[in-house]
Amino acid sequence: MKLRFAGLWLVLIIFQSQASDRWVFAGRSAVTGAAQDRVYHHLDGSGRKHIAVTKQSVAAVWEDNRSQTPQIYATLKSFSSDRFTAALQVSDGGEAYEPSIDALSNNRFALAFEQDASVFARILTAEGLGVPTRLSHQAASHVSIASFNDQVFASWRERDSGRWFLKVAVLRIEDTNRFIVESVQSVEAEGLETPLLFPAIAVNAAGLCVAWEDRRAGHTRLLVSHTADMGKPFNAPQPLNEFFSNRNEYDKGNGVTRVSLASFGEDEILAAWMDKRRGSTGYGIFAALGADAGENFGPNEKVHGEEGDRLAHYNPATAGNQAGDFIIAWDDFRRADSDIWISAYNSDLEWSQDHAPSVASGSGEQSHPSIALDEQGNLHLLWIERSQQDGPSRLWYSLGRPQKP
Amino acid sequence: MLQSYFFRLPLACVVLFTLSVGTLLAAPPEGYRFLSLTEATQLASSQNKPMLLYFGRYGCTTCRKMHAEVFNDASLHAKYNDAFVLAYVDTESGDRISLANGERITEMQFASRSRIIGTPTFIFFSPDQKVLFKKAGFQTIAQMSQYGDYILEKHYQSTPLQEFMAGQ
Repeated sequence: MKLRFAGLWLVLIIFQSQASDRWVFAGRSAVTGAAQDRVYHHLDGSGRKHIAVTKQSVAAVWEDNRSQTPQIYATLKSFSSDRFTAALQVSDGGEAYEPSIDALSNNRFALAFEQDASVFARILTAEGLGVPTRLSHQAASHVSIASFNDQVFASWRERDSGRWFLKVAVLRIEDTNRFIVESVQSVEAEGLETPLLFPAIAVNAAGLCVAWEDRRAGHTRLLVSHTADMGKPFNAPQPLNEFFSNRNEYDKGNGVTRVSLASFGEDEILAAWMDKRRGSTGYGIFAALGADAGENFGPNEKVHGEEGDRLAHYNPATAGNQAGDFIIAWDDFRRADSDIWISAYNSDLEWSQDHAPSVASGSGEQSHPSIALDEQGNLHLLWIERSQQDGPSRLWYSLGRPQKP
Repeated sequence: MLQSYFFRLPLACVVLFTLSVGTLLAAPPEGYRFLSLTEATQLASSQNKPMLLYFGRYGCTTCRKMHAEVFNDASLHAKYNDAFVLAYVDTESGDRISLANGERITEMQFASRSRIIGTPTFIFFSPDQKVLFKKAGFQTIAQMSQYGDYILEKHYQSTPLQEFMAGQ
């Protein structure tokens, strides 16, 4: 009898779990081949933008060391195909890191990446790669790329004469699938003595928004700046995170790091980041919604649910679409090893309960999610899987279809 | 409970690479010879010294309090600066570390894999580069001094740390 009741509860739990799933994931596709000894894939970089979607296909970009040195690779999969293409090597220098991707028209993708302390942009199509374009002039890193109606923008940090600058470039697409740098401006004309880290970028009809980690206050704060027109200067940086201090004379505020931005709706921006305001439990995932392309952000919102209140969370990624959908993914160790978790607004306009897609959870380490939403609301999920934390890795992709309410 | 990644990682095989664009972005206590993990690992190995690995964060409140109220102690300064090799890792840094398995990851990713939840966190290594113990959060001058004695006087070879501390 006990067994029958236990079975009934299990059915109910499973049913409730499925009913709460806003997206249903049908399975997963291998982005890279089986894990190979001493080959490690990384999805890391400004804004965590490693997957993008056109009307015809999905593309992924990452770094791995299959050639003995870290290099950037990309692949794409037509929606009419079950398989990703063989990986194309995007970088060709000594070492390369932290790629970023966004979708363009005509089944093309914009890529950006760091290579040998410079940053580059390059176009990916089903036919192959365009010629790379160098964006930076001095030592540079932490590049991110975003587009809207084929207007393409890249942001990165650059160090010149000992000072740190946040650069934003306007890129034009040539017929030959090559980027031309039309203009570059610094978000703040005066460089900083203190570093700025991991700027993320998002763009929509209302303008352009960049957010980054800033250390000028003797403490890391997230700052955000906006321009409605790249022909004009960015506005003065504004704080993105609400911070809490005055615990004692040494307290300058809680830690924050790794902001991700995504455009959604006509002119809104979603920002999500890791935030230590909870104190000894490590980083939480917090978010803010910005109107007018990030000119005005609303209050900070805790994203993860109560179950996640007592542990640390990592690697937040954001996605949105013009239909107005938006979502955040991250990873954490609440089940001992790492799983992927997602949250989106529910019908009460609050962050939903945390949900672990079954395709990206369970035994082994599933981590470092990157996500994209298409205009039908399908969720495209890319992540790293390892059988153990320091073991070799591989990349997986899954398509989550929205459930009918 | 999974064992910390860090405790499964042979220290001797950790090498830090810093890009030309990178810098030591955070702030270890002034006056101490904190090195990058690369330099410290190599030095500890060549000099057969114990090592203190300090996971900190730029602007971390407790780190700043320890810098001002603990690391400013002259006897502690002498003990750690002279007898230990000191390494510092910024838990939010984008600088990269190369691991024994050949993988390159950022200091931040290294800290999260090592399950470093808060800062400061201190990992103490024996001269033969084995992890002896980990301490997280504020540590007093007396505690830091006793940790140092425990290692330098080689009590770790015969006595658990808790027992040693209780006897002090």
